[in-house]
Amino acid sequence: MRKSIIATIFRKEIKEVLRDKRMLYLVILMPFFLYPVMFTLIGSIGASQQEKLQQEKFTVLLSPEGAGSPIEALLKQDTSLTVVTQSYDKTLLDSMSNTIGITLPADFAQQWAEGQSVKVSIMADQSDDAVEMRCKIIDAQLQALNEQMLQERLTAKELPSSFARPLAVEQIDIAEEKQAARVLASFLPMMVLLFIFIGCIYIAIDITAGEKERRTLQTLFTAPVSTGEIIAGKFAAVSVVGIVSAAMNLLSLLLAMNIQIWFMSKSSSTFSISMSGTDWGWMALLILLATLFLGALSLAVVLLANTYKEAQSYVSPLMMIVMIPSMLAGMPGAELNNQTALIPVYNVALAIADLLKGNAQTSLLLLVAGVSLAAGLLALYLASLTFGNENVITGEKVDFKSLLSRRKS
Amino acid sequence: MQTLIEARQLSKSFGTFRAVNEVSFTVEAGEIFGLLGPNGAGKTTTLRMLSGLLTPSGGSAFMNGFSMRDQQMEARSSMGFLTGDMDLYRRLTPVELLEYFGKLYNTPSNVLKQRIERLVDAFGIAPFANKHCEKLSTGQKQRVSIARTLVHDPKVVVLDEPTTGLDIMASEFILQFIRKMAKEEGKALIFSTHNLTEVERLCDRIAIIHQGNLEYLGDIGTVQQQTGTQQLAAAFFELVKAETATL
Repeated sequence: MRKSIIATIFRKEIKEVLRDKRMLYLVILMPFFLYPVMFTLIGSIGASQQEKLQQEKFTVLLSPEGAGSPIEALLKQDTSLTVVTQSYDKTLLDSMSNTIGITLPADFAQQWAEGQSVKVSIMADQSDDAVEMRCKIIDAQLQALNEQMLQERLTAKELPSSFARPLAVEQIDIAEEKQAARVLASFLPMMVLLFIFIGCIYIAIDITAGEKERRTLQTLFTAPVSTGEIIAGKFAAVSVVGIVSAAMNLLSLLLAMNIQIWFMSKSSSTFSISMSGTDWGWMALLILLATLFLGALSLAVVLLANTYKEAQSYVSPLMMIVMIPSMLAGMPGAELNNQTALIPVYNVALAIADLLKGNAQTSLLLLVAGVSLAAGLLALYLASLTFGNENVITGEKVDFKSLLSRRKS
Repeated sequence: MQTLIEARQLSKSFGTFRAVNEVSFTVEAGEIFGLLGPNGAGKTTTLRMLSGLLTPSGGSAFMNGFSMRDQQMEARSSMGFLTGDMDLYRRLTPVELLEYFGKLYNTPSNVLKQRIERLVDAFGIAPFANKHCEKLSTGQKQRVSIARTLVHDPKVVVLDEPTTGLDIMASEFILQFIRKMAKEEGKALIFSTHNLTEVERLCDRIAIIHQGNLEYLGDIGTVQQQTGTQQLAAAFFELVKAETATL
């Protein structure tokens, strides 16, 4: 194969892609702006909704036994609550909006004075988000009061606070620092593979079925250029666009996620992952091999179509090949081992997840790279069968038998 | 005279359908050869076999002495091929398109530059040389297509329906150019068209294909004599009708 011819075909394809505004918007520019805009919008709406819920006014119906109690005093401190001391039942609560009922036992005062444990029931329709949130706030306020009363009772009995806690259990999560990496590992591999596929598939359609429809592909096949050179030139263009698309999408997504975190926490904390240079190298290699496979597979399949529209009908089944394994890889319990490393796409998703979490084993990564390379070469072979078929190139009917018969050159 | 194109018992079957059946002819240097036939006769299939786009089921094709089966790169390098099934890259300019194909045909860059300048001048491409091809008119596109066919200065040129859809001025320009190419530059030219007036004006010899078979091979005068007609169109109808009647 002549490098100069491959480079000529590659440059021409890239030039056409860069001049195709629709493709630039769809594959590169739109995702780059879409995620930050979308996440910013969701973040700002979510934050304002949260604020609105917190400021909403509620009525608390406190059973008459609570009149003059520390619980009534506690609730009255909250200016968003209107505390009404009265009896109530479920029917009454159902008929009132933004209302929460708190019931104390009939002998509340006596139990309280004797230092017993007093049962406090909170009744509300928690199918309403605002009511549910308010119940949680009231519960937290009561827990604080509970803690305060416990301390007072212990002090009265001259007991140390440790008396009420025979075991002071502390959990130390050594993975705490890897929290961000764990979150990313659950969905980032799928996003990476999906973005590579989206980047590959649209240019693959344009330079195969699109060219057939625009009647430019036959011209290329009458030139003194081998099928291998045509595939190599077109495949290089598909791969570059696939990788650029994935990179742009990921950058955009990470930026958008940081915007979202900022909105949620109102702080400047960001997602940070600590990966070594070797890990990044492995990640780059795996992404490259995944692109090899997905790019070649896209080319092989969409060339069978004679029109752009027909090729688009092949996109959904092809997308399943990417979506299903990569989604499964993000599920709890999915792990990279000697068996799962043999399944294309799934293995790359698991390996990227392990690299992000910092648990990747070199032997398994090597196995994944080998399998991905083999899958990529097989997909390239399939592409060569498709490109080498005269019926495919001339737009005639293609049967499976003729697809397997190679033509010369 | 040097034989530059040779079809030797070319046949092509699609499943059980025989699209072309043992068609043979030769075209010499400086000759314009008309390939005629009604729709579905097998002309396009024959041309596709000559260009290497289709592999013959039987027989062989030679371009400039090179076998399209065994010396495909050399044979393709010798040929410029244009059919109605071919269009231009929409987002390239005519000059970029000519550069692209010149490079694919391995033309040295200094030679290519001069050749493009000459073709741009000869086909009057200069006014739209830097426009994207998708913005060109049908006539402008056809000029660029023919220039693309000639960018590597081939000895053999195959033009299928080169004047279809063109106005009379554009058609005339292309016909004059074809004549000049064959007669002054010694190229062998296959010209396929439904316009029999153009064939009478241009072609030295013709082949008439009908239902995959070669019905006539020779000069225009002889076919008129054989069918007892005064015009090529009448002779063509006579031959095709006679063939259909025998079925």
